[in-house]
Parts: sequence; C-alpha cells; structure tokens
Amino acid sequence: MPETYTVADATLKVILDRRSIREFTPEPVSKEDLDKILEAGRQAPSGENAQPWRFIILKDETRRKQVAAIAGGGSSRRFTAEFVTKQMQDRFVNLADEAKKRAAFEKLTSGQVSAFVGDAPVIIVVCGKKDVWDMPYDTSAAIENMLLMITALDLGACWVIAPCIDIRDEERLNQMLGIPPEYKCVSVLSVGHPTRPHRPRPRLPINQLVFDERWGTPYYEAEK
Amino acid sequence: MTTQNISLDYVNNLVFELEKAFWDERGKGARFRVTTVGRQYFRDRVLPVLHTGDVDHVVKTVQYALQCDGLLTQIDCVEDGRLLRIKVLGCAHRPVEERMVASGVPPFTCLPANLIALALEEKLDRPVELAEIKLEPTDGGETGCGMLLVRFDKRPELVPTKA
Repeated sequence: MPETYTVADATLKVILDRRSIREFTPEPVSKEDLDKILEAGRQAPSGENAQPWRFIILKDETRRKQVAAIAGGGSSRRFTAEFVTKQMQDRFVNLADEAKKRAAFEKLTSGQVSAFVGDAPVIIVVCGKKDVWDMPYDTSAAIENMLLMITALDLGACWVIAPCIDIRDEERLNQMLGIPPEYKCVSVLSVGHPTRPHRPRPRLPINQLVFDERWGTPYYEAEK
Repeated sequence: MTTQNISLDYVNNLVFELEKAFWDERGKGARFRVTTVGRQYFRDRVLPVLHTGDVDHVVKTVQYALQCDGLLTQIDCVEDGRLLRIKVLGCAHRPVEERMVASGVPPFTCLPANLIALALEEKLDRPVELAEIKLEPTDGGETGCGMLLVRFDKRPELVPTKA
C-alpha cells in the first residue's frame, strides 16, 4: 500500500529526507527524471522574473572527470591552506579519535571531498546571468528546487561549489564548457542513484535561530 | 603607467571600502574571488622581465617592479618545503590591511603575494594558494606583513574530451 501524506507533510518529508550524496551506483538517471529535475529548477522564484539560470548537462565521462579534477584541485588547495595554518586542526579539535581525524584531514587536503562529483552519472552545471540584480539568490533557489525534486524521485545529489568558488578554477571551467562572459558558473550538482541510505546531519536547535521582532530576543523559549 | 600623482590615502581608502563591501557581501569566501587581482599589473610589469620560475628570481622580479613603482621597499622570502614564508616591508597598501583588521575583518588579499603566485603559476604551471596574511608589528619604523603561500606539485590535468 502506498503511504499517504497531506501535501504539507509530503513537502516536509522531502525536505527532511534530502541528503548530500557523494557515492553513486553506475545506474544512469532517466531522461524522464532529469526532465522533472530541470522543470523544478525552471519554476524557482526569481527577482523581477529574470530567470537568470541556465543549466549544462554533463553525462560524458571525460567531461565529468574534468570537472572533478578542477573541483578536487581547488578543494585540495583550500583545505591544505587551512591545514598548514592550523585552522583545520582547530576545526576538528573536539574529535578525539586520531585515526578518524587523520582520515578527515587526508580526505580534505587530497581534494577527494569534492572530486567525487565525477563519479555521478550526471552533473548539472548551474550558470547565472550576471546582468541581473538577484542572480545568486535566484540560482540558489533553482538549485534547492532541483535538490528537492531529486530527493522526491529517490535519487541523490550533492550541491558542490568547489569547481568555481575560486575565480581561477571558474575561469578554467568557463573555458572548458564554453560559458560566455555574460554568465558565470554558480555551482554544480552531482546527480545519481545513492549507494546507501545516509543519516541526517545535525541541525542547530531552532530556538537558537529565530528571534522575536528584534535580533537577540528569542522567539522560542529555551529548552528546560 | 600614468605619471600623474594622486593621493595614496585616496587610493587606499577606496581599496579598503571596496574590499570591505566585498567582504560584507561574500564573507569568508571573498578571498577566493580575488586571487587574480593584480593580473594586469603582472602582465604589464612583471611577466616581460620574468625569465624562470625559480623562487628567488620570481621574488626579486616582483620586488623590483613594485620598488620601481614606489609600492614597497622589500620582499623577503624563506622556502620551507612547499611553503613560502613571505615578508613584505614598506607596502603602500598596509593602511588598507590595518583598517580591515580594525574592522574585525581578516585581511584576505595581497597584491605582492598574488604577483608571486601568478608568476609561479605562469612559469611552473604549479597551483599556489595564499594561506595567510598577517600584519606584523612595526619594526624600527618599517611596517611589515607576513604571508604564507603553499605550492602544489602540479595542476590537475584535464584529459582532452573526444571531438
């Protein structure tokens, strides 16, 4: 018997079920699913209805590996910089297990933390038109819409900014994909079938996040 | 380069306000968007006289260009494995970094460091990351900034796609 939800409950379930997926089976993403994902992106809210988003679909393995190389190289640089300045060690100061800590450092400084994008059967490259007031927000809304549709379709994805957060890497990506100068690469989504279920990541308590009328005045009472 | 003189305070105030506005918008990610700032200066003033990727030559070439334009007095560099510990003395833009720190914002871009990174990337095709910028206490009237650059072995290769 199919489970039955109200629309509100179904929406919340999809939101709560979303995970950042970094391991994928080789199974391809169907055209029907991809069409739904892209339609979800197309329907995102947009300031002045400018719709600055454009999407490039990458299925070719060589191209996916190129994006992965750029993403991994960039992450490796940034996390190595954090490592040599001890910021990374500070970040993991509460992790007592030394083996886990070393593994985390290795994963981050090697760039593997982002290079996985090439393992997904599909990469959606999200580009944004520059000559628009709200491009970063519009494209982010489109990305979240797509992530929720991906979850609803029992697929998995990860929102990755590593290939384009540094302008040097973005320039390489733009050149590789022929993105014209009036657009910029905003992010990539790696999309595929997850290899396994993932646990939710912790979230800050809501009473730390919401204020009443003015910053600092709690909207929710603190937990007793 | 134009020979018309304009106030250094005017320039530094503008640079500070632009950097601060960019930080307020982009936060900690701002640093990754300014890694090529100085590229035109690099192409015009450094690249034509840059012969090799030898670190000593790179540092001296960048130092010479910036000294000639009155932008700093000295750059010292110590190689420590893949790390380059850079010290810039007498930089004309030091007031920008001072105002950033006074505003509670860690300095996130440095022209001399970018020029050195651009030179190493150009001549060696090795990625370089600016890991740290620290204001150092004034030393006998000479103000300094300490920078940490990380050199990487090679740029990730992009295998050519099929035609």
